[in-house]
Amino acid sequence: MAALHNQLEILLQIQDLKAQRGELAESTGERKVQEEEFHLNVDEAVHTLDEKITELEEQLKPDVRSRYQRISRGLKRVVVPAIGGMCYGCFVSIPTSVASDAAGPGQVQLLHCENCGRFIYVVD
Amino acid sequence: MVLREFFNKDVVALDLEGETKDDILKELISLLALDDKSEGILFKMLKRRENLGSTGIGRGIAIPHCRSLVVNRLRVAFGRKTSGVDFKAIDNEPVHYFFLIVAPPLEVSNQYLPVLGKIAQFAKETDVPDRLADIETPEDFLKLLEEKAV
Repeated sequence: MAALHNQLEILLQIQDLKAQRGELAESTGERKVQEEEFHLNVDEAVHTLDEKITELEEQLKPDVRSRYQRISRGLKRVVVPAIGGMCYGCFVSIPTSVASDAAGPGQVQLLHCENCGRFIYVVD
Repeated sequence: MVLREFFNKDVVALDLEGETKDDILKELISLLALDDKSEGILFKMLKRRENLGSTGIGRGIAIPHCRSLVVNRLRVAFGRKTSGVDFKAIDNEPVHYFFLIVAPPLEVSNQYLPVLGKIAQFAKETDVPDRLADIETPEDFLKLLEEKAV
């Protein structure tokens, strides 16, 4: 597998942290498990995650951050897999040239879906 | 749904070699057979969860867990370190038994929380730590899960 683009790696981490944050903050089931089984201070944990998300967002290059902010205003998932030549955000086929760029050797390009604008990473 | 459905012998390691929390997490991750980059991302996510508060729930058991895009379905693994490792567990005792749980951010079947809860429930059974100490093969571990039917 080609190496992940540094900015894509950051975007993936931000999305993972947001998923974690969302569950802690919004899911009563998750909160209950974390508090009862792991004795976690959930409010403190959410605050810590917010700080980490902000820190990672600041590591995005201006053009990437701009697209990221624009997408995240309207869509929950900013980064999605592309499987079988299809964007799994909007389920529209991505052009063959884009897919081949992503699948090539060496470090992959930071790509986005031309239909929905989400950042995409190709899954074999 | 029972825990046994999620485990197979390839994700069970009864002789973890790591001597630190980080080493143990890396060994557990390696059981999932991901690519190097995904392993790195997952390690960071698990570390971040541990930094919020240890997943060592006491009685020698830890359940490191997180959601991550590096997996496309719920993945689990079990590891044992007979001599134990300092995992900053809530009882401050060394941890010997590790249940790793990783799930994608969006799951159709929404198994992550139930599996996390079932492992916590399994870990609370009074005889479980001793039984985990006694198992000799990955198959024994799977049989224990079947027997407990959690």
